[in-house]
Amino acid sequence: MIIDANVQPHFRYNAEIRKFLGPAHKLRSIPDVEQQWYQAPGGDYRQDLYGNGYPGSDPDTVASHLFTDGGASHAILNPLTRGNIADYLLNSRICAAVNDWLLTRWLEPDDSGRFLGTIRVNPEDVKGAVAEIERLAGHPKMVQVGVPLQSREPYGKPMFEPIWETAAAHNLPVAVHINGGNGVDHAPTFAGHAYTYPGYAAFMPLNSFVHLATLIIEGTFGRIPGLRFVFADGGYDILTPLIWRLDTFWMSMRDQTPWVDRYPSEYLRDHVRFCSSAFDGPTDAALAERWLDFSDKADLLMYGSGYPHWSTSAPDDVTAGLNAEQREKVLWRNASDLYSVTEGSLT
Amino acid sequence: MMQRRPVCAIEDLPPGSMKLVQAGKFGVGVYNIEGAVYAIANYCSHEGAPLCAGYVVGTNEYAPEMPDQLRRVREGRIARCPWHNWEFDITTGVNLADPQKRVRTYEVDVSDGQVYLTA
Repeated sequence: MIIDANVQPHFRYNAEIRKFLGPAHKLRSIPDVEQQWYQAPGGDYRQDLYGNGYPGSDPDTVASHLFTDGGASHAILNPLTRGNIADYLLNSRICAAVNDWLLTRWLEPDDSGRFLGTIRVNPEDVKGAVAEIERLAGHPKMVQVGVPLQSREPYGKPMFEPIWETAAAHNLPVAVHINGGNGVDHAPTFAGHAYTYPGYAAFMPLNSFVHLATLIIEGTFGRIPGLRFVFADGGYDILTPLIWRLDTFWMSMRDQTPWVDRYPSEYLRDHVRFCSSAFDGPTDAALAERWLDFSDKADLLMYGSGYPHWSTSAPDDVTAGLNAEQREKVLWRNASDLYSVTEGSLT
Repeated sequence: MMQRRPVCAIEDLPPGSMKLVQAGKFGVGVYNIEGAVYAIANYCSHEGAPLCAGYVVGTNEYAPEMPDQLRRVREGRIARCPWHNWEFDITTGVNLADPQKRVRTYEVDVSDGQVYLTA
């Protein structure tokens, strides 16, 4: 069994989103899904998938690639929105339009139950995000909440907490993923702008760890026991050294944050998952098995193809060098536990 | 070989003070905390720093009802390592972050106004 925990479905063409916006917003300018800077050379998506519409925009084609060819039994669809638009109320409408489109075009017509969805929300509009989760959490095919990796404040800050409380109250994990579009964002790294795409793509997941550290240290995970975050852009391989560092500092400065009542690394199992990415892991597969054991990462990692991204990765590539137990956890068991998906469960 | 040895007169170890005794491999700190005497090894369980050279302070507890969410507790009972700030409760030797990481404690008693350390 294989569960693909990270798939980006696309509109057939950028302006198609307007069909899902209310009349008050139809004529507003809305960025395209492609980022203005740091696009991959040759385009962000697999060249072979362009044709009739955008890559990943036709449900039958996607189903045939993921399920028939790729052998997955389920795919978690996590669509992009259009960036952190300065008009945060407009951005929330864009999120709602994406959600309505996902339901109308992908989830509701799918009788097989293999496509599962993400409720995209805008964290810069906390009330709107809570309302959007409340609007759609009851839908049986919506299995997580989605937010951008790009944020002007780390997600452990208290202003975001109502969103996380609402997600946890509905038993929905929160997936953090690099967004599309063009928003009013900080530079992609803490030190500023990367020079070319490789510097951007290789190190962008570092932002996940700022979110993660604040969710632990500012006590969010402690206060919301049912809250789970999925970092969908990978980076599991850099988790171990960074969480070692956080553990070390906590031993010295525990008294500043006494609500952190265990080693920071001890929050991972209950609260954190990563999707795989093509950039993750040791360059020598012979080291993969041992490296995954550090920080018990075999319990944290879920296979995500990233389809139709140019770096789409196949199950065998993601699990190269892993032992049978690790492979099983990564390919489906961890995702099955997180999303309560079992073979045939939603058909 | 453990032996019971005189440290000083209790008047010379008033509440809030510590005397470092040459005993064992690294020395032993004998503390008077609010009239009761305690002793811990002068050796941090982390990297072997001279623990008794650090501050003797209190610590913070999580108090969600307070504006800073902190409550000051155990004042005068916590030894902070001078190297990396690890916190140990002098009365038990237990590390506040990870109870598995202890420092050694020793028996101390007061008899006829004299403080004795068994180390």
